[in-house]
Amino acid sequence: MKTQRAQSLRWGSLPISKEPPLIMHIDLNSAFAMTEQQARPSLRDKPLGMTNRISKNCCIIAASYEAKNRGVKVGMGLVQAREIIPELIILETDPPKYLYVHQKLARIMKSYSPDVKMKSIDEGIIDFHGTRNFINDRPLEEIAHEIKSLLKSELGRWVKVNIGIGPNRFLAKLAANLHKPDGLDIIDHNNLLQVYDSLELTDLPGIARHYEARLNAAGIFTPLDFINTPADTLRHSVFHSVVAEEWYQRLRGYEVDDEPTRLGQVGRQFALDKRTNDDKELLPRFHYLCETTGKKLRFNGADARGIIVWAGLATGERWHARRTWRTSFYTDKEIYERALYLFNKRPRHSPLTIMGITCYNLSPTTRGQPSLFDEVNREERLTEAVDELNERYGNFVIHSLNTLGGKRIVKQKIPFTGTRYLDLLFKDGA
Amino acid sequence: MNFVEINKRVEVITRFKARGEPAYLVMPAKMRYRGEDITFTELGLRHPTKKGQRMIHVFDMSDGTNDYRLEFDAEALTWTLATIIEGES
Repeated sequence: MKTQRAQSLRWGSLPISKEPPLIMHIDLNSAFAMTEQQARPSLRDKPLGMTNRISKNCCIIAASYEAKNRGVKVGMGLVQAREIIPELIILETDPPKYLYVHQKLARIMKSYSPDVKMKSIDEGIIDFHGTRNFINDRPLEEIAHEIKSLLKSELGRWVKVNIGIGPNRFLAKLAANLHKPDGLDIIDHNNLLQVYDSLELTDLPGIARHYEARLNAAGIFTPLDFINTPADTLRHSVFHSVVAEEWYQRLRGYEVDDEPTRLGQVGRQFALDKRTNDDKELLPRFHYLCETTGKKLRFNGADARGIIVWAGLATGERWHARRTWRTSFYTDKEIYERALYLFNKRPRHSPLTIMGITCYNLSPTTRGQPSLFDEVNREERLTEAVDELNERYGNFVIHSLNTLGGKRIVKQKIPFTGTRYLDLLFKDGA
Repeated sequence: MNFVEINKRVEVITRFKARGEPAYLVMPAKMRYRGEDITFTELGLRHPTKKGQRMIHVFDMSDGTNDYRLEFDAEALTWTLATIIEGES
């Protein structure tokens, strides 16, 4: 089958996949705002914006449909959002609440198939391949209705969920986006072209303005143009890589997105509560970012060899410094010392508005291999002991004295792009 | 819309249903706060959280006008009224 596909691909004549639609994409859209509206009836039908920490410079990380319909977008600053909707209600996020909703959603999904992948805190995929007997050959549409009703029964009647069903992950997600909120759509070979005909390029998951411009430059203006473009043209005029063939197959309903994602980097960032370039103010916050990055690194069983430290300045400039070391590292002390060395090189002519640290060049950890140097072993044992204590009594029960100020201010963010850290972050209710 | 932090212990009468939708099996029915009885008409959401090692069940309740965040400490067996969101009556 794969050889046939590769051959057809080479000849640029791959037909639309006739695979039955067995992938279900479930998406609690506007999840944080919707959860708050479920919890607090007085917020229902009102424009609502969510932020991690209310401050003058904060930005909207989630918005209710009532706010989105009036032009408020995720990522917008509070000032701009209030210009559009003066009566916009702003709430700080309540992570344990969203974790509970996530757990309920995941539990319901896992009751239908062993092959469930949670893509983020508010969306996931059920792969129904090989489960036909288990679900008694019931149509997936019926199961989708059942999932919607179970969620309402477990969480509340305000909870709405978008469900899409398709032959691959891409089309299932596209289907889930068609009729928000509370939609249920199926895309298969029968209606694929019809659906594409009704959409714009940026309606396709993964195609944002930047990709749209590249497609436009190659004479591709609609999803129908896109699917009718040969793989060769996509490779030579648009993507210049293997990504072209992936899009060629993805658009036709073949699965190319089921590879597990490889951990490339871990990091943290913080939009400063006060604009400053004063070490006394910045270092507790910076140290705290380093320690939380170290926790993520160790949680993933990885060591790093590189660090990037970056900052945004009040003048609008961006600054970053990076360095790769020969030996790998994973303890909080090592991360902080290396990151601080880079951070001290930052420009001093303007206050900072945001700062961040990222560890890269990750590899499976070498922890457990004793070093020739006793000092290294001591530090590794100390890190292990601190992690164990925090594991037992809650995150950051033990931490560096210097991070005390930072811990009070830097709030735990909710990871949008994956569920990898949820267990780590919410161990003590965050 | 006004958010008022309270954080005061309160008396609560709770109803435990034998059957029904899982979200609504346990529901605070009435609360006495500052000598006044408040009857709840809707449970918005119940979710668990932790304060240190203590398990807290958070109940977001409504009396039809205001919303209330009630916290039940499963170890100390106490009810705390955490916040009131004053609605538009």
